[in-house]
Amino acid sequence: MPDLLHNARVSRGQFLRMMGGLAAAGFVTACSTRPETTASTGGGQSTTELKFIGVADQKAPMDELVAAYQKVRPTVRLTTSYAPTDQVQTSIRTQLGAGNAPDLHVVFPGSGSAMSMSEIAGAGLLADLSGQAWTRTIPEGFKPAFQAGGKTYMYSAGSSVIGAVYNKKAFEKAGIEAPPTTWSEFLAVCDKLKKAGLVPIALGAQTPWVTQLITYALVPSTVYAKDPTFDDKQLAGQASFADSGWRQAMEMYLELQKRGFFNDKPNGTTFEQQTSMVATGKAGMAIQVSAVLPDFRKAASSPDDLSMFPVPGADDAASVWIPAGVVVGLGAGAKGKNVEEAKAFVDFLGKQENINAWAKAIAAIPLTQDASSTIDAAVQSFLPFTKDRAVPFMDQRWPNAEVQPVHFAVIQELLAGDATIDDALKKMDEAYKK
Amino acid sequence: MTVLTAFRSRARATGRRVSADTPSWLFAAPALVVYALVVLYPAVSGMVYAFTDWSGIGEDRSFVGLANFGTLLGDEQAMGSIGNTILLTVAVVAVQNGVGLLLALGVNAKLKSRGLLRVIFFAPVVVSPVMVAFLWKYLFNPDPSAGLNGLLGLEVDWLGDPSVALWSIAGMVVWQYAGYSMVIFLAGLEGVPKELYEAAMIDGAGTWQRFRYVTWPLLAPAVTINLMLSTIGGLKLFDQVFAATNGGPGYATETLSTVLYKQAFVFGKFGYSTAIALVLALFVAAVSLVQVYYLRGREVTA
Amino acid sequence: MRRTYLLEIVMIAVAVAFMFPVYILISLSLKDPPQISQSPLALPNPPTLDNFASAWSAAALGPSLMNSTVITVVSLVALITLGSFASYFLARVKSGLGYGLYILFLLGIVLPFQLGMIPLYQLVTELGLIGTHAGLILFYTGIQLPFTVFLYTGFIRALPREYASAAQIDGASHLVAFTRVVFPLLRPITGTVLILNAVFIWNDFFTPLIYLGGSGFETIPVSVFAYVGQYVSQHGLVFAGLVLGALPIVLVFLVLQRYVIKGFSSGLKG
Repeated sequence: MPDLLHNARVSRGQFLRMMGGLAAAGFVTACSTRPETTASTGGGQSTTELKFIGVADQKAPMDELVAAYQKVRPTVRLTTSYAPTDQVQTSIRTQLGAGNAPDLHVVFPGSGSAMSMSEIAGAGLLADLSGQAWTRTIPEGFKPAFQAGGKTYMYSAGSSVIGAVYNKKAFEKAGIEAPPTTWSEFLAVCDKLKKAGLVPIALGAQTPWVTQLITYALVPSTVYAKDPTFDDKQLAGQASFADSGWRQAMEMYLELQKRGFFNDKPNGTTFEQQTSMVATGKAGMAIQVSAVLPDFRKAASSPDDLSMFPVPGADDAASVWIPAGVVVGLGAGAKGKNVEEAKAFVDFLGKQENINAWAKAIAAIPLTQDASSTIDAAVQSFLPFTKDRAVPFMDQRWPNAEVQPVHFAVIQELLAGDATIDDALKKMDEAYKK
Repeated sequence: MTVLTAFRSRARATGRRVSADTPSWLFAAPALVVYALVVLYPAVSGMVYAFTDWSGIGEDRSFVGLANFGTLLGDEQAMGSIGNTILLTVAVVAVQNGVGLLLALGVNAKLKSRGLLRVIFFAPVVVSPVMVAFLWKYLFNPDPSAGLNGLLGLEVDWLGDPSVALWSIAGMVVWQYAGYSMVIFLAGLEGVPKELYEAAMIDGAGTWQRFRYVTWPLLAPAVTINLMLSTIGGLKLFDQVFAATNGGPGYATETLSTVLYKQAFVFGKFGYSTAIALVLALFVAAVSLVQVYYLRGREVTA
Repeated sequence: MRRTYLLEIVMIAVAVAFMFPVYILISLSLKDPPQISQSPLALPNPPTLDNFASAWSAAALGPSLMNSTVITVVSLVALITLGSFASYFLARVKSGLGYGLYILFLLGIVLPFQLGMIPLYQLVTELGLIGTHAGLILFYTGIQLPFTVFLYTGFIRALPREYASAAQIDGASHLVAFTRVVFPLLRPITGTVLILNAVFIWNDFFTPLIYLGGSGFETIPVSVFAYVGQYVSQHGLVFAGLVLGALPIVLVFLVLQRYVIKGFSSGLKG
């Protein structure tokens, strides 16, 4: 064996040097791979790096607008990451909890979720955007989604609606001439589709958030058309799910199932399967939020096959109301190093042409409109409602993040026949009071 | 610097002992430092949250003593999820190891295709659990003409029927990890001396008797490791459940891991979630200790 | 002889059934949308590589491949170095304290990761390593040490001590004995350690999202799931993305597969 290494002390020295070397190597890796937060560019200006983390739906509009911002403000570089909602929520809450949030990140409108504007702003972690010009044009009815304590903390390009995404060819095949405008017409349409050998309504209730959409589509007519102040009463403890039109909405939901208007085994069917059923014409429609129209269109042979109509939740066409909620937005972290630059980007997004661009990418109704605003042809039929017969998505006014997941779970239990409407509403009321 | 000097002088003082049978503890020091930094310190300081009402964000938090543990006892959903966790673990442990053992016995024989078969059975282990869940969700399509139903001519509502969903998840996990158990059993089988089989053959033992009295007792170490790893994996199982059903339909597949995840990140009750995590950790540790103690006791040496 | 033949047929049948999900994965990734909806179970006819082409470019997998490789390789080097050294000590030490230390390491296997998640993130932030490869490398090295130590210690305990002792009689220190004699003997278990840790690190999705999210350094799973999230119902595109994401680790496994089994075999006696 080599005699040059026989001294234990020397070899321990070597060992320590080796470990030191390893640490140094780690350090070098750290330095070499660290993004330069401020690097000088040719003109002697410094570049600011901004981080954004968002949900996958935001990628299309953000890609477009980040590229546009690069041209307007070349000294700011935005790096972005996108992931499915659950993972983003976990990731951002961890970062917020540890006090190191990205400069810009996804924020859900209103209250009622762990990533909602009011929850995060309430913890003092969102920058106040109130000074920006676009915030002064937020329509009155949408303010609770953007504002807490009179200050604006979230940007969103507009609103989306919940209604029936339908396949025009399938409707033609079943001999349906016009979309229904009352509940009985709606049932008749489903009947025709069924007689034509199609699944009238595709329901992908295996995907939790899909479960809520039918209730959300009906509750505006069964609850808010009768009492527009229901939210305030419920918050004050004067109204409950059990003693309101929520019961009727759930009964209507189950009536659709009883009449065989859903695909077989909705609890085992995913959103993806639901989408392709409608896109390929196996099913006539799906009750969905307009923000996922692009998904339906991508899966269809021609995007023009698909359109939307409001779900009539009442037998009198005049008392049909619709759900129209502010779409998932973004906010600037209050504690970041580059808060001002982050806010400047939000201000840029608030310009009318950028609101238009974002809204267009996700088939939303732009927050504010000018001559160049376009509204997706598929949601045109909702516009007559948006003025005074529309209510935000229900969870946006719920006081805590527990009601919505309970809603998902009880709908699945109802569809499985494992619960009664009484049980379901009781559980929701209990969660509401937590 | 002072620390380094201290290390050196200590090493010099014990210079003679070092070259004896035990290596210097400096061998373990770097690993211990990294482990303490990345695992022990964060876990210990994270435990503190179990005794607070922290939401997970912001500065607002106060000490609530053992209140979170009290809440847990009265939390129907969390208590229900313990039952699901145990059922899922028992199913996964039993089937995964049963299948793994059969596969190992099969590919341990002198087959021409044994090398390829081993690779095929182990391959799912290397793919991400989330991707596997994605694939299986497609296979679990309830449509009778697609996926597993189409292949087997069934009409099962794999993930949608509350009484089936948990077993579907178990099946998916078993498919992914049966190869893992197989490899450990194979390793055990390779350690069984050939002479013992020959001796048993001469004594007139049949296939079953050879397995029962020769192979099985000598597989004990492999059984210990397999049971321990699959039990820990089963009790902590999260990714697959979360990606496949998110705890649904209703609460039919909710496990302790999904409940504690939801409390922390969906409901904004980080303190309570940590209390559940702590209970889960103690439970897993207790179960594995008992297992190892019991199983090591029945091991024999070849 | 005939019984082996029969067994071979049975095992091949089992393997074919076992491969069914993989068949679906690959065949769907080679089909266009009409084929997927009309004949989900049939062979792709004709097969198309369009899904792969668009998945590769849309998911921007090139840079992610680089990031994942750097993070995985450096973490593995650190894990193998730190883990094997520590295990050599833990396997040889006779004191109760040494055994206690071993148990302390094993504790890491049972702890749910959620417990230390936030303090750890704070720590990595304070070290200035958020958004760097080094932050993740440190994370993986620490988090996977318990399992690495568990595998190595079991293996070393089963090694005859004479090898190292013989070297020491020649006057070599433990360090020399370890690096020259013991470590090469660890090759089979090192193969196992390598593949099992590589699988974990390569596939981890959640940690890179937290530690690297928005930094422009995406890893493969982060890119793949951002991509998958956008093409929800287009199974051909989604499955092509999944195949591309899994391919590198599957290839590594195919190269190292012989070690996986061998490594376990001698480690069991520990």
